[in-house]
Amino acid sequence: MVAQNIFFGIMAAIMIWAALRVVTTKNVVHAALWLVIVLAGVAGQFLLLGAEFVGVTQILVYIGAVVVLFLFGIMLTRASMGEDENVNLPNRIVPATVGVLLFGLMAFATIDYWRDAELPKDGSPTTVEAVSDSIFSDFIVPFEATSVLLLAALIGAIVVARKE
Amino acid sequence: MLATVLAEVAPFVRPHIDWHAVAPELTLLAVGAILTLIDIVWLERGRKLTSSLAGFGLLLPLIPIVTLAVSDSDTRVMFDGAYVIDDYSLVLKAMFLLTGYVVVLLSTNYIGEGDYWENEYYGLLVSSILGMVVMASSRDLISIFVALELLSIPAYMLATWRKRDVRSNEAGLKYYLMGVFASAIMLYGMSLVYGVAGSTLLTEINAALSEGGSSEAVVTLGIVFVVVGFAFKVSAFPFHTWSPDTYEGAPTPVTAFLAVGSKAAGFVALMSLVVVGFLGRDDVFGPLFWVLAAGSMTFGNVMALRQKNIIRLMAYSGVAQAGFMLAPLAVAGTGGTSADTSISAILTYLLIYAAMNLGAFAVIISVARKTETAELESYNGLFTTAPVLAVFMTLFLASLAGIPPLGGWFAKFSVFTALTNADTGAGYALAVVAAINAVVAFGYYGRLALRMWVEEPYLGDKAPIKVPVALGFALVLTAVITVAFGVYPPVATHFTDVTLVAGV
Repeated sequence: MVAQNIFFGIMAAIMIWAALRVVTTKNVVHAALWLVIVLAGVAGQFLLLGAEFVGVTQILVYIGAVVVLFLFGIMLTRASMGEDENVNLPNRIVPATVGVLLFGLMAFATIDYWRDAELPKDGSPTTVEAVSDSIFSDFIVPFEATSVLLLAALIGAIVVARKE
Repeated sequence: MLATVLAEVAPFVRPHIDWHAVAPELTLLAVGAILTLIDIVWLERGRKLTSSLAGFGLLLPLIPIVTLAVSDSDTRVMFDGAYVIDDYSLVLKAMFLLTGYVVVLLSTNYIGEGDYWENEYYGLLVSSILGMVVMASSRDLISIFVALELLSIPAYMLATWRKRDVRSNEAGLKYYLMGVFASAIMLYGMSLVYGVAGSTLLTEINAALSEGGSSEAVVTLGIVFVVVGFAFKVSAFPFHTWSPDTYEGAPTPVTAFLAVGSKAAGFVALMSLVVVGFLGRDDVFGPLFWVLAAGSMTFGNVMALRQKNIIRLMAYSGVAQAGFMLAPLAVAGTGGTSADTSISAILTYLLIYAAMNLGAFAVIISVARKTETAELESYNGLFTTAPVLAVFMTLFLASLAGIPPLGGWFAKFSVFTALTNADTGAGYALAVVAAINAVVAFGYYGRLALRMWVEEPYLGDKAPIKVPVALGFALVLTAVITVAFGVYPPVATHFTDVTLVAGV
């Protein structure tokens, strides 16, 4: 477990630095790119925990789709891609305080309950097979509902976005 | 290569699926698919059919619901209790489908005449209702979350359906942003609850949370976050800020749908979560719901008194009504029969609220067809120009205010019964708050009624209002239900006297 702990620390430090850069940088495109590092760090943490499926999904969905969507959004809606002085809120104290308080609360609750919890040493990691088995057995209803949801979202998005 | 890999994997066990039990969902799914296909195959020629097809299509799943209700086996459980079809869920499914049917009646002329994307509108409406129907049976965190998204995401887009109107765009965007924010908070809470319980099944969560003992911060935080996420959905104070703007900007039939359908779905999720999942942690959710209920009733009523626009008035009165519906949950965990009476009270309230609120929106849509405004002033002298509409509106307003012998009276009565039945100080205190608010609500409902009966007609225009057939039918249907439930409450309690106990 020692090696995992060291890597956890390194990745966590990188993620915190990148997360701070996301909110402090004056360039929106840079903010999106710093976000890639944060999200990649999350994927790395999942891999460290042996959750390979969640880790790969994290990369595919967040880095592959969400951040690319951000970049397209910026590209299609903004003329200037460079630094922008107005990108940061003038009154940063209030949201920052709320953020710090919420972080403190959630960190306290998590550490308080799982302080001594350990991953099972002999437990095998969750495999892709196990995930797919449960999707098509116990979670078949939410799975089917998700497919309806995606179709509805697609149809609605086309109607909302298309030119009249 | 692949064969050896597959051989090592544990054999896949086919899940047991009770096809009769999921027949309502499958029928609704087929209706949605047919609606979409008609649009693809027939293009413009299908337009005339769509609204009637959607209307009848929403009534079709009632057939399997009735056969399920009269069948011998009382409760059908699938997937270890993740999906349960009992009397509670059947009543709710029927309510959601009828709500959808009335919304289609309200939409027929509005959407048909306004050059909207008609087919897609009904397709999204059906999929949103499918989400509600799934929600009624879900007893599992993942099913509840997916059902919530399935009912919300089409609703976000329906709110922005008046694409050329900037207020409708604002409505959809605001609803969407607040909705995903709430979803994120709720998911975080769910992950904490799952982390403690080690299962997504509500029954197992209840077992784990109850034995967990005293006061882990993480359990409190998890429950609070989950409840807050749904408080957005039911527009409870202080998470209601999206509702007046969204209600005002969205197409009015969609507003009616949001005010009744998706609000009811949020309550269904809250009831299942609290009574099946969190019942052992009354110390956490009791005070939380007390504050939410008292705050929503008081704030909603105070704000409603100051509104000049009927849709905003209905939005704030909806916040107040949500407070009444939240109130029984505050005492649901006090032991004895309080969980059952609370569930019955909320169900009764939901059924009656759906009828009277949809009726009020039917009148609003009818009046706006002529006046093309939603200002309260446009209701001046409605009795002179449209006496029948004025009578209907007075009936619905009186019911919303809770005047006997209309349905709203019995809805409020069952909430008071549930609160006093718990026999706790908090329950009685909340009953007092509710009683004061019931009186305050007379203020704005009564003033609106007075406008219609006493004032001179709006702009001196005495031309009568023509009500299309579909709207007229919706008016009659909702009025009959509103009156029937109030005059003879056993009609309502026959359906709502159900139990939803932990350990199904």
